[in-house]
Amino acid sequence: MQSEALVEMEDVTKVYGMHRALDEVSFDLFPGEVHCLVGENGAGKSTLIKILSGAISPEAGIIKIDGKVVEELNPRQSIEMGIATIYQDAELVDSLTVADNVYLGNEITGRIPFVIDSKSQMKKVNEIIAALKMHLPTGALVEELSASQKQMLQIVKALYRDARVLIMDEPTSSLGMDETKALMNIVRNLRERGIGIIYISHYLEEIFEIGDRVTVLKDGKSMGTSSLESVTVEEIIRKMVGRDASLFYTRRKVDIGEVSLEVKNISRWGIVNDVSFDVRKGEVFGIGGLVGSGRSELVNILFGADKADSGEILLNGKKLRIRSPQDAIRQGIALITEDRKKLAMLGGRDVVENTALVHSENFRGFLLNLKEEEDVTDEIVNKLSVAVQDRSQKIEELSGGNQQKVIIGRWLIDDSDVYIFDEPTKGVDIGAREQIYELIVELAERGKCIIMISSDMPELLSMSDRIGVMKNGRMVEIVKNDNIEEEDMIRRFIGV
Amino acid sequence: MSNSDVSFEGRKTLTRKRTSILKSQWFYLLVAEIVIAVITGLVNPRFFSTSNIMNVLEQIAVLGVVSSGMTLLIISGEIDISVGANIGLSSVVMAMIIKAGQPYLIAIIAGIALAVFNSLLVGITARAFKAPSFITSLAFISVFQGVALAITKGTFQTIYGKFEFIGTYRLWEIVPLSFLISIAAYIVMHFLLSYTKLGRRTYAVGSNPSAAYLSGISVNKAKLSAFALNGLFIGVAAMVLLSRIGAAQPSTGSGIELKAIGAVVIGGTPLAGGKGRIIGTFFGVLLMGIISNSLNMLRVNPYFQTVTFGLLIIASLAVSVLSSYRKKEKIKPHSSKEENR
Repeated sequence: MQSEALVEMEDVTKVYGMHRALDEVSFDLFPGEVHCLVGENGAGKSTLIKILSGAISPEAGIIKIDGKVVEELNPRQSIEMGIATIYQDAELVDSLTVADNVYLGNEITGRIPFVIDSKSQMKKVNEIIAALKMHLPTGALVEELSASQKQMLQIVKALYRDARVLIMDEPTSSLGMDETKALMNIVRNLRERGIGIIYISHYLEEIFEIGDRVTVLKDGKSMGTSSLESVTVEEIIRKMVGRDASLFYTRRKVDIGEVSLEVKNISRWGIVNDVSFDVRKGEVFGIGGLVGSGRSELVNILFGADKADSGEILLNGKKLRIRSPQDAIRQGIALITEDRKKLAMLGGRDVVENTALVHSENFRGFLLNLKEEEDVTDEIVNKLSVAVQDRSQKIEELSGGNQQKVIIGRWLIDDSDVYIFDEPTKGVDIGAREQIYELIVELAERGKCIIMISSDMPELLSMSDRIGVMKNGRMVEIVKNDNIEEEDMIRRFIGV
Repeated sequence: MSNSDVSFEGRKTLTRKRTSILKSQWFYLLVAEIVIAVITGLVNPRFFSTSNIMNVLEQIAVLGVVSSGMTLLIISGEIDISVGANIGLSSVVMAMIIKAGQPYLIAIIAGIALAVFNSLLVGITARAFKAPSFITSLAFISVFQGVALAITKGTFQTIYGKFEFIGTYRLWEIVPLSFLISIAAYIVMHFLLSYTKLGRRTYAVGSNPSAAYLSGISVNKAKLSAFALNGLFIGVAAMVLLSRIGAAQPSTGSGIELKAIGAVVIGGTPLAGGKGRIIGTFFGVLLMGIISNSLNMLRVNPYFQTVTFGLLIIASLAVSVLSSYRKKEKIKPHSSKEENR
């Protein structure tokens, strides 16, 4: 660590609209060091590595690579300067061999022009693999490799290009125990060879096992960098949380009635594992957990968009038969999905059609009633104060918050018993956010069961009556929300 | 909304703004049609004679019926390029039944049912094997043609002197019945698209199948309905065509699918689905008829007519791309209209 820094970032800022994804963050990396980045979902980790890999450029700040200030960085320059990012979904060519993938675009040709010299390619790739003590068949096709082998291949590819900085984003999230151990050994090996590694992980155990230093990000700000020898898990977690009170929403209390929705032993092989919980009338049941813990998958099953292998769902004591979203809707379940653009909006269609979609499909006969559609749209627009110019405006022309209001509104025309919100305020501005919270509380007051998935910790803690914690497809515990601290919650998510 | 408590004060009633006529593709088609007609009429005044105009309308009747069905199918996000072969097969079957001395009604019902069945086959295979309907309909071209060749042994099925009513009848001795049938097809399709749940579903599955599914729409049902209706229109088109020509063979109707797709696209319905109106298709079909007739009147080499159709489709693509560029520039964050008092 005495030598000169490979990467130095000073006061780097990235702004998206009103949102500061990175706010004057400084970061550095030395040769032969594993520098870990931790923070909640949306804390700015991805933004930081995107800047380093040249995918996006910051609004302000200085980036130095090898002590030299870099004015502009595009993906190509970033690779040429020796920065390599290992993604989970690698851009590898499935139909080529391991060796061919390493040499893609730089093939060695033999004596005959245009003909690839596979033998020398294999030999050189084997040398790199041996030096790293990996197990990787050079002649195998990429489609035959496991997730961890694909990751190793990316590392080999990076080293072949003389990478000196490796960025690893959640490298172990799809790996088993043994594979994780093997990867850890390779990381140590790389460190000994003087390569600088930026290591991003939710799993704090891994970070303590392998890291030299750690930088904590929270809401786009750096909470400081410290040596991992002089810091404890508790200190890191404390830095990850602890927000301003203004980010919390104070909601009205609602009288909670009897149990209405009962979910019993729902499983879907490899994705959701034996989940049971119940929700009372007027209760907001929050579901928290890390991305990939099976939260959205669980509610997709409740809504019939995915099939469960086993388990049952009861509503007001009656067993439900749900085999499609249509069944779910008819039996009183509504799902407001996470991905508005992909899963909810009819982009090129107008506001009326988008608002009336669920009503006209499920609660009307063969003929549409255009007058009624316009009336209910007016009702929703007024009730949720959607900023819209006229009925024929296309939904894709509205702002994110207004789009979300229209999408929520389409489920309010006809009453449901259970409302499931998956990330209800994702990409929604603060004003609209409060209105959505208000609406959720109103639904609860009318005796509806609310299930709310959220990655936004203040949202989860201010809205939920109880919180189910998901981890690796299981609901590991259900916590009553009596002024739970953020710190306490995140510890449960990570499981330390 | 069962229990809404919005007071009438401060309540805003939305208006449906009339979309400017200048934004509709059909308006440009109409302008182009008028310009072409005027030019042709100046060069050859016979163009505006009643008999010529009726001739044009008669010629585009079959294309109009096929294009109406195609509009629905394309809006649903699917396509069928076996339309020509389907017409060939169902028209020879109709001709053979008539030749065998059976009542016309039986021939018509059997032919239309066969066309519906064929179109459904294209759709069902596409949905079942998760393949694009372009590919399955490509495969069914050979199947339909092969079956037609096999049952006719390759011979012409003539029914001269029989079943002429639909092709020859003229209302008030002027307006061809076939043209009226095509107008009826447009109107039925417009009604389905704009005023029924079926139409709403069609737009929804074409625009965003995932969102449609999660809103309770059965995507398979919606798409197969579009295929079945497309088959119905193909059957009607085959009937009109057979009556007008008085004969059928396996290659009857071949190539009409490309003209129909062309007319739909020129009319402003993108192949991506989810958008489009029947009025655009109407003017698209009309443009094809007028251009074809004008080129004849202007004594242009018929080979160049085919070239013209191709260029026309390219030009319409250019127009729709350019207009979408213009729209994107215009999109700004909209501020809410505060009051409406």
